[in-house]
Amino acid sequence: MSASPFEGVLSLLIRQRGVQGCLVVGEADGIVVDSNVQVGIQSNVVAALAAALYRKARLCSAAAGLSTVGFLQLEAERGHICAIGRDGLVLVTLAEPRAHIGRIRGAMIESLSVLA
Amino acid sequence: MRTHVAEPWIEAPLQAFVDDASALFALLLHPNGQVMGQFGFTRAVDVMAACALAAAIHASAGELGRELDGKPFREMYHAGRDRQIFIGDVPTTHHRFVFLTVFDAESSLGLVRIYFEELCALLENAQPPLLVEAPISAASLEHDLNRNLAILFGRAPRGADGGESSISLA
Repeated sequence: MSASPFEGVLSLLIRQRGVQGCLVVGEADGIVVDSNVQVGIQSNVVAALAAALYRKARLCSAAAGLSTVGFLQLEAERGHICAIGRDGLVLVTLAEPRAHIGRIRGAMIESLSVLA
Repeated sequence: MRTHVAEPWIEAPLQAFVDDASALFALLLHPNGQVMGQFGFTRAVDVMAACALAAAIHASAGELGRELDGKPFREMYHAGRDRQIFIGDVPTTHHRFVFLTVFDAESSLGLVRIYFEELCALLENAQPPLLVEAPISAASLEHDLNRNLAILFGRAPRGADGGESSISLA
């Protein structure tokens, strides 16, 4: 059985400080394509909701004439959800409040080519 | 637009699903084709047809699953060009239902599956104790099918307590 093409990207992201999980999700269906998450995280639920959020943000951005969504960050009381997408796939990262979002953002943008 | 149900305890879980999943249509039925609740349909004949088809698909898929996998397929999904359909088995302690929903690009399969799991849990918690256990005859089946359709489309009153149990399990 061959390794997933996203394995490298996910293992790179999960090693970042404060990252609790990262997932590659189908934007249209919200189904997990591949993931690397800590125990206790409901990856299916996060994937479906994050994909829906990203899709709405993309549509909103297009409607406002802002073109494509570069990087989406949701800041919550107990952490962050970051998402970046390309060609119908969304890369989602869950991070603790202490995580260095700049580094995660850089790693996610670098990983974008893998989603193509 | 509100859901219409044959029994009051079904309304809140079904309405929650429709609101959360942004479904276009939702149908909860007994595996024999008897409608228990619906959202989005405007004609009784459409509900009747959808129930009959969903019950048949559910039964066929169950047997196919047993043949192929040793257990019935629990969920089915089909993506059309604009709309998608999801059919799932809703097992509760006292009853067994089939759930059908139609959604478009406003929702997604992932969201529908999440809220379907929630629907199952809400129905499990909301279900009343099993009171009636009557054998199904051809006459009682047709009576129940027509009774629930009539309640859903406002042609028949519910029981004095807001809804008598019409579920008869063999």
